[in-house]
Amino acid sequence: MAGLAGLAGLGLSACGRGFGGGDDEPEGGTVQLNMVWWGDAKRAEKTQAALDIFQRKNPGITVKTEYQDSGPYKDKLATRFAAGDAPDLMAMRMDSVREYADRGALLDLTPHSGAVDLSGLSEGARTLAAVGDKTYGVPAGLNAIGFVINKTLTDKFGVQIPDGNTWSWADLSTFSQAVTKASGKKVYGTHFDAATLANLIVFVRQQGEDFYTADGALGVTEATMVAWFDLFNQMRASGAMPPAGFIEDVGASAAASYLAKGSIASQIIPTNNFLVYKEAAGGNLALLRIPGETQARRRGQSVDCPHLWSVASASKHQAEALKLLNFLVNDIDASKATGTTRGVPASSKIAEELKPSLTPDDQLATDYLIGLQGEKLPRSYTYPPGSSKIQSSLESIATEVEFKRQTPQQAAKAFLDAGRKALGK
Amino acid sequence: MTSGTTTGLPAGVVARDVPAAPRRRAKRRKDRAGYLFLLPWFIGMLFTVIPFFASLYLAFTDYNLLNAPQWIGLGNFREMLDDPLLRQSLKVTFIYTFVSVPLSLVVALGVAMMLNQGIKGLPVYRAVFYLPSLLGGSVAIVLLWKYIFGFDGIVNGFLGWFGIDGPGWTTDPDYALTTLIILHIWTFGSPMVIFLAGLRQIPTMYYEAAAVDGASRWRQFRSITLPLLSPIIFFNLIQSLISSFQTFTQGFIMSGGTGGPADSTIFYNLYLYQQGFSQFHMGYASAMAWVLLVIIAAFTALNFLAAKYWVFYDN
Repeated sequence: MAGLAGLAGLGLSACGRGFGGGDDEPEGGTVQLNMVWWGDAKRAEKTQAALDIFQRKNPGITVKTEYQDSGPYKDKLATRFAAGDAPDLMAMRMDSVREYADRGALLDLTPHSGAVDLSGLSEGARTLAAVGDKTYGVPAGLNAIGFVINKTLTDKFGVQIPDGNTWSWADLSTFSQAVTKASGKKVYGTHFDAATLANLIVFVRQQGEDFYTADGALGVTEATMVAWFDLFNQMRASGAMPPAGFIEDVGASAAASYLAKGSIASQIIPTNNFLVYKEAAGGNLALLRIPGETQARRRGQSVDCPHLWSVASASKHQAEALKLLNFLVNDIDASKATGTTRGVPASSKIAEELKPSLTPDDQLATDYLIGLQGEKLPRSYTYPPGSSKIQSSLESIATEVEFKRQTPQQAAKAFLDAGRKALGK
Repeated sequence: MTSGTTTGLPAGVVARDVPAAPRRRAKRRKDRAGYLFLLPWFIGMLFTVIPFFASLYLAFTDYNLLNAPQWIGLGNFREMLDDPLLRQSLKVTFIYTFVSVPLSLVVALGVAMMLNQGIKGLPVYRAVFYLPSLLGGSVAIVLLWKYIFGFDGIVNGFLGWFGIDGPGWTTDPDYALTTLIILHIWTFGSPMVIFLAGLRQIPTMYYEAAAVDGASRWRQFRSITLPLLSPIIFFNLIQSLISSFQTFTQGFIMSGGTGGPADSTIFYNLYLYQQGFSQFHMGYASAMAWVLLVIIAAFTALNFLAAKYWVFYDN
């Protein structure tokens, strides 16, 4: 019995930070909004600064915000919805938006253009959360993936960094082998995850294919999947990448990454994290484009967002939630407070206004993105429902290849079979 | 445990001197106190009973957490027949259970017998060996193990002294489950403490008599220790089987919730959790929970049937 009571006590004290529910309404006619998102303490500080400004400007509204690590966020959010306790405003993963929207859980923002002004967003940014003629979220910021190389290490080992605008996948391999060789395998040239959809999607687009088609099916061919798995097998075999089993799941933080530890010299990151990675890796990072962009059939890179802001259709305070959303998207003070922690502001107008006040490192990442936005990039489509299942099959199949339990050919076929089954088409 | 007399009074000693009416009043008061102490359990029960029946209903529905559940009869159970990942999760759970439970019981019994030699400082040793059981399922220890068994971890460092290139204990699909089994065996403390208590109840005169008759240590173990300890072994076996079938934390933490590498640590409960909370498939997850209940009940019943042939009750 005592043991049970102890367990119950543990259970209670364990839910300090994650989000449990917004039940306590404050007194005095004010409206309390509940807003949930994921990120680290630094992002929390910046977000709170923006919310403080919002609450000063809107005395009738208080915002109760809850945040946690990105890993368990998805499960917690689902539980909140299941309990009938949906947050008013929430960070929404790109691969989850349709899981919620298709089931009527999110508010369509199209009829609310008076409350949330999306005219400052580029076509590409506005359509990121478009499903048919409805819009279920606004990008919390814009980012892309980029290749970062630790210059301290390349200088130390005397390896030349290739031209980041024109380099090919073969150049990446050559470069990485040189680092591994020069360091006597103390540092591997590169590592990035074969199972991260964002990485794979760029590669697929470079082959002239859409990973997801406009009607929500898998557009990637078996040949392209074989090529993707082959790329990793070759890089592991040549020493460009560390051997199978070397990389462990160390969580999402930059500080815990292998790049920060100095055991790899380069990796792919979301550009909005450039600053934290740079600090974590000792302050000397170069930002390159993904390899293969100039050799490919078409451009692979795209402008994405770390997450969307969505409003729950069940929210009791929709007007206030939309007001807060509009503040985050269109108020320069909000962007000044949050900086680029969630990427470059979605509104081009706000992004231009914000740029001069950014640090040089932030400006570098912002320029990278403004550059990309100015180019003609093929559109990508929202992740269809079932894509979280596709993500998990990709993870296990990529591991099968890594440990040579499946050939790239077998893996490509297995992945497409699993993917089609998950999407039901 | 103290005897469960309802009056709580030592029967026939004090009670005889007390008149009947106050005795009943005293009994009622005692009962009330008893129920009062049970109250937290009753309240706790509500949190078990309601989800229990809710999940039984949900098992027959298509429920995506966001919309109202739709009755689909046996649809979920039919889907389970054709789910390769479900088969994989059963395989992982069965291997884990049938390897780690016997091994951990053998280790627990071995250590308990060692500690039963009348050594000095027994409470200290007992606590030290018991400690991992308290911590073994905890997040911190699993993370620590992840570090110890890391690619550059202590274990591979040790193997390196002998010129062995250790595998990725937690990242290689051929080794990840083994690592978790080792972790499980390490938490042999709670069956060990129970074994130790059982061993101390075996009267020493049996061993003395056997020694006089010239029985070897092994013979004594086979013919005295094992039969007299068999009810305890049986109890530990049932307990360990039930908890092992329900393993979740180790797989969840070690793989970051994915059941990886390559689904090699996808315990049944972990897959159930993924279905329910990541794939918006709560009806299916509920059906899985009930299938697990049936599996555990079947193995427990089987054990009770088999117990007739090997468990010896000395009364």
